[in-house]
Amino acid sequence: MLPTSLAEAVEALGTSPAAVPVAGGTDLMEAVNAGRLRPAALLGLGRITELRGWRYEDGGTAVLGAGLTLARMDRPDFAALIPALADAARTAGPPQTRNVGTLGGNIATAAPTGDTLPVLTALEAQVTLAGVGGTRDVPVSHLLTGLDPIRPGELLTWVRVPLLHAPQVFLKATGRSGPARATASVALVLDPARRGVRCAVGAVAPVPLRPLEAEAWVAGCIDWSARGEEGATPIDPAAAAAFGEYVATACVPDGYGADAASGLPPQGPTAAALALRRTVAVLARRALGRALK
Amino acid sequence: MTDQLDRPAESTPAPAYGLGNSPLRTDALPKALGIYPYAADLWAEGLLWGAVLRSPHPHARIVSIDTSAALAIPGVHAVVTAADLPAQPVDGGTAPPSDRGAERPVLAADVVRHHGEPVAAVAADHPDTARLAAASILVEYQLLEPLTDPEQAFNGPALHPNGNLLRHLPLRHGDQEAVGEVVVEGLYQVGRQDPAPIGTEAGLAVPRPDGGVELHLSSTDPHGDRDRVAARLGLEPDRVRLVVTGVPGATADREELSFQVVLALLALRSGRPVKMVLTREESFQAHGGRRPALLRYRHHADAQGTLVKVEAQILLDGGAYADVSAEVLGAATAFAVGPYVCPNVAVDAWAVRTNNPPAGRMRGEGALQSCFAHESQMDLLAARLGLDPLEIRRRNAMTTGDSLPTGQAVTCPAPVGTLLEALDEVPLPALPLDDPDTPWLLPGGPGGAGDPAAVRRGIGYSVGMVHMLGAEGADEVSTATVRVSGDHATVICAAVDAGQGFATLARQIVQSVLGVSEVYVAPVDSDQSIAGPSARGRHTWVSGGAVEKAALMVRHQLLQPIAADFGMSVELLSIADGKITSYDGVLGMPVTEALEGKELWATAQCRPHPTEPLDEAGQGDAFVSIAFCAMRAVVDVDIELGAVRVVDVTVAQDVGRALNPGQIEDRIEAAVAHGVGAALLEDLRTTAGVPHDLSLTGYRLPTSLDTPEVRIATLVEERDVVATFGAKAVSAVPAVVAPAAVAAAVRAATNLPIGRLPIPPQDAVAG
Ligand SMILES: Cc1cc2nc3c(=O)[nH]c(=O)nc-3n(C[C@H](O)[C@H](O)[C@H](O)COP(=O)(O)OP(=O)(O)OC[C@H]3O[C@@H](n4cnc5c(N)ncnc54)[C@H](O)[C@@H]3O)c2cc1C
Repeated sequence: MLPTSLAEAVEALGTSPAAVPVAGGTDLMEAVNAGRLRPAALLGLGRITELRGWRYEDGGTAVLGAGLTLARMDRPDFAALIPALADAARTAGPPQTRNVGTLGGNIATAAPTGDTLPVLTALEAQVTLAGVGGTRDVPVSHLLTGLDPIRPGELLTWVRVPLLHAPQVFLKATGRSGPARATASVALVLDPARRGVRCAVGAVAPVPLRPLEAEAWVAGCIDWSARGEEGATPIDPAAAAAFGEYVATACVPDGYGADAASGLPPQGPTAAALALRRTVAVLARRALGRALK
Repeated sequence: MTDQLDRPAESTPAPAYGLGNSPLRTDALPKALGIYPYAADLWAEGLLWGAVLRSPHPHARIVSIDTSAALAIPGVHAVVTAADLPAQPVDGGTAPPSDRGAERPVLAADVVRHHGEPVAAVAADHPDTARLAAASILVEYQLLEPLTDPEQAFNGPALHPNGNLLRHLPLRHGDQEAVGEVVVEGLYQVGRQDPAPIGTEAGLAVPRPDGGVELHLSSTDPHGDRDRVAARLGLEPDRVRLVVTGVPGATADREELSFQVVLALLALRSGRPVKMVLTREESFQAHGGRRPALLRYRHHADAQGTLVKVEAQILLDGGAYADVSAEVLGAATAFAVGPYVCPNVAVDAWAVRTNNPPAGRMRGEGALQSCFAHESQMDLLAARLGLDPLEIRRRNAMTTGDSLPTGQAVTCPAPVGTLLEALDEVPLPALPLDDPDTPWLLPGGPGGAGDPAAVRRGIGYSVGMVHMLGAEGADEVSTATVRVSGDHATVICAAVDAGQGFATLARQIVQSVLGVSEVYVAPVDSDQSIAGPSARGRHTWVSGGAVEKAALMVRHQLLQPIAADFGMSVELLSIADGKITSYDGVLGMPVTEALEGKELWATAQCRPHPTEPLDEAGQGDAFVSIAFCAMRAVVDVDIELGAVRVVDVTVAQDVGRALNPGQIEDRIEAAVAHGVGAALLEDLRTTAGVPHDLSLTGYRLPTSLDTPEVRIATLVEERDVVATFGAKAVSAVPAVVAPAAVAAAVRAATNLPIGRLPIPPQDAVAG
């Protein structure tokens, strides 16, 4: 099935709920080729042009189509709009997959290493789900945690992102220079209007984690009036480093990487936990530093 | 370059041909266009699809196998287990030494010894049906404790009737009581690099009316594979014919024997052609990789840094089956000290069996593991004595005539000092910080998290060696036929060009000897004479030698009558550009005319001088010849994240004679990429014998962004008088040396010990 409009697609999915939507196919076809998935039918989303762009809504929100490709999100016009999402899209795999892989596919797959996910979490984005019964908006975090999943017969159509008009950063550690999945990633966005810092850590847990206390603490350490001024230091470097540690400890538990089957209570943090915390702390500190530069 | 790619080299030969030039491979264009056929592209009328059932356990007893569910599935034509194969002696019995897979079952009969070991196989009319049927075979396993720590192999339960010790080599050389004024010790670990060929194992088997079978495989050892398949099936070798298809990547050997035998067996059982293509996951399970190694070293030197004694213990994890572990252990032991003079050496080396994935043959296997350790030790020694890393190497460098710790005198060129000097003369790459206009690819890659303030640059050196051809008494021989008719020549030689460029070289040899530009290299099959495996850098020497001899014989046949007519000796005639000329220019006759419509041909063999096995003290003339290489690696390390980027690798290599300089540079680049993978990325990690992630996402191969700029400082051309054309093999030694050079550079950047390969990012965090 290759519908050319959203309405047609929703309709088609309503009549055959067993059909599996396919956008770029970069996740789906991998599962099919490996024999993990045998879809009864495929619903191709590639021809729904309305989902491949974005629009603005009541001044403060960008409404992104689920069919927006990762490559498109890396272009300067989009990067000026939501820089952290552009950063994430730029590092999400090799060019061949980014040319066809989509934002909607990245969200629906909900892989722990999905690079757009920590950014959308930090931005507190909402997704629109459309079914024959109508549409509903769900916070992206509810979708990812399974609190409010995509239901059978529903399509992910739009992603609503508040426009903050302030620096935002996505940093990803992979341990190599070529394209790779994250070992850890940090998305950090400033919300000057609310004097807030929002941060999400990706790849260390099944879903992106928000270190809420660390966010609140660091927001109080920032000299918001000095921000953006020539030669000003809006934050004490020691506070930035402490923020990194704070985020890392909040997001990586002591028992990370421990053999759960051993049944032994963890004796302090494991070596794997310490190594990962170090990485997360560096990423969070650097992200904050870049956002405040 | 692009200009050359635009036209097929076959119809318009490159203007410069013959030895010493760099003509393009004839298959370069079809490969670049994606139209070059590989085994996975084969098709036969009425073919069935094969699928294999593999053990999910690293160690278990097979209590029973029930294939009835699989047989009941419509479309299934054959189901086979170990019971369908003639019984093999479990210990490999009297198998010839060349049958390196002798103790490894084709299909596990009573015990599975590694995760992914083949247990049963199915042929069905659709690939999905075949896989489904394989999955429906019920195997009852009784789980056994897996032995996965090689250090436990000595005292653990025997995993195989042959025991767990695959080989022990206690090498003793010189005065065992000697002690140095300075002593440094280190412990080194090397991970499990996988060959990860870009095309997975694939093949087609066609039953023959005479009860035999024809196999179309990307074999790199057609006669060896034919003989082994025939032996396992209880057939005479002439009932198995092996046709070599395009080889989509091979680091030495390619396919595991079980794949080939199962494919043939399914075709014989079903009476139909059977095709099998492994998935990426199965491919990782099927072929063998590098032996993880644990190396404990103690170097003694005098106050000037001259080596006094080297003591080493080397433990190689061979995995579940012996394969070539014994041979690899010989190389690891003999090259344990590196290309240095050391009067007193004590090495104890063991290769042991575990329930880990079975190891195979990789580039420079054995030598690579030792090189990482001996080079790390040389740097420790330099640091202790306050010497420059190049200086300590210079002071100890071996030259021709020095002896290995095995007592063998190195009679081939050993230009180690020259190689080191050449490295020193190449300027270092600029630091981007000094030149803000150059784009700086930070460790972590473009769009990564790199921070220039946390980046430290490090420079490291390493030197290494590897032997060419089979060692320790292996019979090395190759045969080739050369034919001229009309204006072209044909080479028939069963040396498989798995990408290393032998076919190009064979063309160049014939062009040089016979002066004809059009040379075709025939496709390879097992009806041709034996040329041996494409491994251990042997074909340039043995098959190149056979091609040269055959071409010279043809040349003689061609020139002899003409020389007789003119009353001059053959030596006074030369052939170039398709024309025979005499020294005085009086005679000028086209080759086509001299042939008078006849066809001339000759067959010749090349067999290098024999070697001997290492004795119980590790002594003996085990190698035909040795190649050396020196390298300088420059790395940038983000010392907070431990991310490493190899910026530049400069190579000085001993090549004997550069027969095809372009091809040599390509081979060096490929080997450096391979070595960078071993140094930073590639490790097939397991827990309790079970691999973590059998995919190319989990198993990280270097991409173009991970590989450095490779610069050739020099290709040292000191002819090796016993070798064909004086040339040395070029592919393995840079792969041996690169990991140690990268590790040294990371050590220099971070001031951390760096004792593991691949280097995990946390080992390079120094902030
Ligand atoms: C080599 C390689 C490297 C990669 N590296 C990265 C990486 O570094 N970081 C990263 O984040 N990702 C990476 N990916 C994963 C992948 O490219 C991304 O997740 C991509 O965004 C998926 O988009 P798609 O359009 O291809 O999804 P598809 O494969 O088409 O679909 C994925 C899933 O989402 C569902 N789906 C798609 N669209 C919708 C919709 N509108 N409504 C409801 N369900 C929908 C499909 O049914 C399917 O279950 C990589 C993939 C490959 C092959």
